[in-house]
Amino acid sequence: MENVIECRSLTHYYGKRLIYKGLSFNVPKGRILGLLGKNGTGKTTTINILSGYLEPKSGECRIFGENIRSMNPATRERIGLLIEGHVQYQFMTIKEIERFYSAFYPAWRKEAYYELMGKLKVAPGQRISRMSCGQKSQVALGLILAQNPDLLILDDFSLGLDPGYRRLFADYLREYAKAEGKTVFLTSHIIQDMERLVDDCIIMDYGKILLQCPVSDILGKFRIYSCLAEKMPEKDFDGIYHPSLIKGRLEFGSFLPPEEVKEKLDMAATVYSDLQCSHATLEDAFISMTGKY
Amino acid sequence: MLKAFISKEWIKTRWYLLAAFITITAFAAYSVHGIFRAVSIRGAGHIWEVMVTRDAVFIDIIQYVPLIAGVLLSIFQFTPEMQRKCLKLTLHLPVPAMRSTYVMIGFGMAALSVCFTAALLTISIPATAILPKELAARMVSTALPWFLAGYCGYTLATWIILEPSWKARTAWTFISVLILRIFFLAPAPAAYGKFLPWLALSVILSASLAWLSVTRFKAGRQD
Amino acid sequence: MKIFAKIFLIISIAVLAAWQIPWLIGYFDTKTDRTPFTLYSCVTGDFAILKHDGDDFTYTDRKGNIYTERQFDSILPLFYARQLFSEGRFPDTLDSKPIVFKEALEKSFFFTSRPSDINRSVPGIYFLLESESGRVDLEMPSDAFRINGRGIEFIDMETNSTDTAKSRIFTQAMSECGFVFPAKCVSGNPTPKKEYDEGYILADSEGSLFHLKMTKGKPYIRKIRLPDAVIAEHAFITEFGDRSMIALFTDSENRFYAVRMPGYKTMEIGMAGKGFDPCRESILVVGNMLDWTIRINSDDSVRYCAVSAESLTFLAGMEYPVRKSRLHGIRFTSQQDRFVKPRLY
Repeated sequence: MENVIECRSLTHYYGKRLIYKGLSFNVPKGRILGLLGKNGTGKTTTINILSGYLEPKSGECRIFGENIRSMNPATRERIGLLIEGHVQYQFMTIKEIERFYSAFYPAWRKEAYYELMGKLKVAPGQRISRMSCGQKSQVALGLILAQNPDLLILDDFSLGLDPGYRRLFADYLREYAKAEGKTVFLTSHIIQDMERLVDDCIIMDYGKILLQCPVSDILGKFRIYSCLAEKMPEKDFDGIYHPSLIKGRLEFGSFLPPEEVKEKLDMAATVYSDLQCSHATLEDAFISMTGKY
Repeated sequence: MLKAFISKEWIKTRWYLLAAFITITAFAAYSVHGIFRAVSIRGAGHIWEVMVTRDAVFIDIIQYVPLIAGVLLSIFQFTPEMQRKCLKLTLHLPVPAMRSTYVMIGFGMAALSVCFTAALLTISIPATAILPKELAARMVSTALPWFLAGYCGYTLATWIILEPSWKARTAWTFISVLILRIFFLAPAPAAYGKFLPWLALSVILSASLAWLSVTRFKAGRQD
Repeated sequence: MKIFAKIFLIISIAVLAAWQIPWLIGYFDTKTDRTPFTLYSCVTGDFAILKHDGDDFTYTDRKGNIYTERQFDSILPLFYARQLFSEGRFPDTLDSKPIVFKEALEKSFFFTSRPSDINRSVPGIYFLLESESGRVDLEMPSDAFRINGRGIEFIDMETNSTDTAKSRIFTQAMSECGFVFPAKCVSGNPTPKKEYDEGYILADSEGSLFHLKMTKGKPYIRKIRLPDAVIAEHAFITEFGDRSMIALFTDSENRFYAVRMPGYKTMEIGMAGKGFDPCRESILVVGNMLDWTIRINSDDSVRYCAVSAESLTFLAGMEYPVRKSRLHGIRFTSQQDRFVKPRLY
């Protein structure tokens, strides 16, 4: 499958602090990929590199086959960018901002923008700076829809939105992306939203990618296990994420089926009983994989 | 594209530009009014004499006005771009980033030119009515470095505002203050003479510094 | 563009550093290099020197003699005439010539010129007073003049329009006197707050010297006879209380001259071969009825010479070296002129 985004061996430091080393991933055409990670794992760094506003210490990032650092300006016409917090030119009105952007995009879809704007209860002359967060996000989304890009890069799209509007935004975006065959790369700090929206996810831990796979794999295969135990397993074993012992119950997550987990626990000479397992939500899986702290 | 950029810059700065135009012209008119008032009280001869023998130019009141106007224009024009990193949107447009940057700076320079030309005409037209061409020219040539400082204040403030790192902003501010001092060193009227064209050239070249800030912004430089 | 901007920034920082760092060092370096107050004494026939170091004053001369303050006043009787007169110590004779206090005051003068008075932008507009109005007080005129390649133009100040008739009469008079327009140097003292008015001393484009004034509304123009091959460069009208001199001027070889009245007699001032360049050196002449002390400050020295007041011949000379600053850098202003431009030092 054709890759729209290809990142190879990205390494970045802030001063002497390593963010990650040798990070590589691809985003295939037509997929919606969500980047998950705790604060400080490099989500914003990655999205800044991808949108061309951060030069990595090494490695390269290609979008539509072009290196992002030396991208032909015309190629940017094919990329829709949503900045964290749905930032748009605050000093413009709905009308002014549409007129401004339309001058740069020959395939501008004015009606798509105004259709969305029609749902907003704002006066035509009202400045974006005076709109609520939800209204601002609708303006930003409307502009991206009118631009009709092939790739959408959305930085923390859920920031500042209330729950109902977050869901509406996610549903609207998914429907649009799937109907038009768009590729989407996004981050969000609210993982429930991702579950409804993304096809694939990358889960980042400090300095590395923990996992890149379709969300359906996680929802179908990842389980949360719990059992009664007096102490933690004596040795670590592969396939089990962040075991924790709270009030005599050992909890951990794993992609392994229950039989294999039992086997591993026995091999680790763990005294346990009452082993239970349940399917995990994306959020459960994320917490289990990255730890609570 | 150009029209869209101009409209964006105009939306950001229109009220400020209107205020700046009125203020600069008012300052110029006020200084000229002072000359006319003195002429009506003590006669034209007194003004001529004071200008020749005591090196007076009567427009000292506007000395720092163009500089303040230039710096404020930059603040009004580029602070909204830097609020929540809005500049990312501008640089993401499908036009070369350098073109976007210099269309915005070109707009600012042109807007300042309108304000400054109005002020210079407000001074020079009435002045030539009551003063010989030598003294009117002396007033204008004394004021030229101040107006040049207005442009320079604009380019340097733009450089500082677009700079993403506060540490660098502090250093650039220090350098800018020293550069701007050069425009206010005149020990006498019309003191810049042949240095003025070189100073004007330096002001034009100083616009390149804004690109340095944009490239640092694009590279994600931070403190 | 990025490289260009970086180069521009580096050059700017280098220029600013070369400007500000030496200035800062100089600002905190409080050591001053003052030359002592020096004046020729007609009593000792040598220079009298007043040194001061903080609050300590030393009255001395080149031979090392030490004087008291009273003695110092006495060896400079014409400079301290008022002090001596108030103490009843003003002498009756000097150099075996009888002297009168009033005459001594009348014939004393100071003349100064600095390079920054010359190296500056001038408006090119001048005022010609009426020299013989018939009234005691002088008055500022109602017109001003400019001199250009076509002639002299008078402009009525109230109407800001050219007085063509007056301009024609003056231009004609000056041309007939041999004045070649435009003027190279225009020196006047256009103020009514003076005892008398001598108008202007002008050097024309060929370096000839002229005296222009207005008497009873008419032009008074005289060509001043210069010695052969002397081309006037910088002229200074004097208008001292004693009317025996009308101007000082330098020529293209930096020789220094006085123009004595009556008769516009040009006399070279004997400075032992060392001239005076008004564009680069400042001058102070302290004159009295017997002698002049001339101090010339240049980049590397302070030169003193004394000349006889009557013959302007050389009497004595001395020189103080000036410690050159070891600081180097760029500055935009200078004591040598009133322009702003970068200069290395």
